Amino acid sequence: MMKGAMLLRLLTSIGLLAILAPLAAQQKPWTPPKTPWGDPDLQGVWPGTEMVGTPLQRDPSLGTRAVLTDQEFAQRVERAKKQADVDSQETVNETTKCDPTRGGLGNTQTTCSNGVSIGPPLYWDDRGKPNRQASLVVDPPDGRIPPLTAEAQKTATDRGASRRARPCTRTAGGCHDSWEDESLWDRCITRGLLGSILPSTYNDGNQILQAPGVVVLRNEMIHETRIIPVDGSRPHVNAGIRTWMGDSRGHWEGNTLVVETTNFNDQTQINNATVSDSARVIERFTRTGANTLSYRITVEDPKTWTKPWSVEFPLKRDGEYRLYEYACHEGNYYMYNALTGARAEERKEAQ
Amino acid sequence: MRTTVWIAASLLYTTLYTIPSWAHHAFAAEFDIKKPVKLQGTVTKMEWINPHAWIHIDVKGPDGKVTSWMVEGGTPNILLRRGFTKQSLQEGTVVVVEGYQAKNGENRANGSNITFTDGKRLFLGGSNPDEKPQ
Repeated sequence: MMKGAMLLRLLTSIGLLAILAPLAAQQKPWTPPKTPWGDPDLQGVWPGTEMVGTPLQRDPSLGTRAVLTDQEFAQRVERAKKQADVDSQETVNETTKCDPTRGGLGNTQTTCSNGVSIGPPLYWDDRGKPNRQASLVVDPPDGRIPPLTAEAQKTATDRGASRRARPCTRTAGGCHDSWEDESLWDRCITRGLLGSILPSTYNDGNQILQAPGVVVLRNEMIHETRIIPVDGSRPHVNAGIRTWMGDSRGHWEGNTLVVETTNFNDQTQINNATVSDSARVIERFTRTGANTLSYRITVEDPKTWTKPWSVEFPLKRDGEYRLYEYACHEGNYYMYNALTGARAEERKEAQ
Repeated sequence: MRTTVWIAASLLYTTLYTIPSWAHHAFAAEFDIKKPVKLQGTVTKMEWINPHAWIHIDVKGPDGKVTSWMVEGGTPNILLRRGFTKQSLQEGTVVVVEGYQAKNGENRANGSNITFTDGKRLFLGGSNPDEKPQ
């Protein structure tokens, strides 16, 4: 009897251990290697490609649920399989036809007709890997970017109004009266601090290099490079110096690199909204495993958004990924085509 | 009832999965959905440039007259990572393009179907630098 009770206790303990051991392993933070000068080593190439296709903002029907159910995830997997099937077709056939009811790139009423879409072949794009993250925005808890302030909305309206004395010609993508009507991305200036690292269908390479007192962050998307002091020896530049990517300063909180960026100019944008002189962006880079880097970015700009908001997603190390130069304006015929296209449409309408 | 469920399921399906909508350019601002073109032409030049590669082709019309067209491709960086280079599409290669003409009326086109004459799609798959698409 006694032996039986002991055996039961022993078996229970083993059972508990079997359950708890993996949990403990999960909870224990992974310790990154150190650089020769003692900083956590974040160096490597960390593309965001796997997260391509994860919505930036959450579908309102999911509420505050940040993780998909098994069924929802299975649907995401199914969709990715269908896309892979379209992408891998050796020839043009029924499967490769665009569909205006599907939505997204090439599949709208204005971009798809008779199975042929406007735009280069979509199978040249990079695809992500299905995941369970409901949205890239993780805070506020509903995964939605907070509304713009009344002041920010007015500024955006006034900007457009002051630039033109007459209503603009609205064709696809908005007004095309001037190069200034085109987005900063179309103009090959910048995709902004968030946009440069946000997963896109191409050029998702990010590289981190470190030297004593400095971290270098390189984004392939429009060849951005930030050289970020992390030793506390250099304060932010003078408030009068304002730039497209702002002025970044970093420090270490344990094994996490925390980067604070201020001094944005009065034209640069985050999520298509021009930021104010009060904008402050905090990024956190934490290695959570040998090949995973957690990236979190918090946007604080009380003049532009009614609340701060955060985006978080993992970047995956890829030793094979090569970042190539993205000298985006070297053959940017878009500007010429869009502006002359709008003028041609005006002439046609005038006739 | 069944219809309602189906519609609800469809809505959920479309909202849960994002087809990437980030694209550098609003192609519909440059090209005219009402001007579809089908061109067969000989490659004369490959502009391996950012943000998009451009393929130059000479197209012979039914009257024998040759006109030069420019056809827009994707970003070279992705193609490079998949093992393709400017040399992967040689001058003299014949390609077939289904797409749309520029709104400004010039001989520039862009479209989802770029194939060789045997129907095989251009720059498909393959990450071996020595592997040629044809």
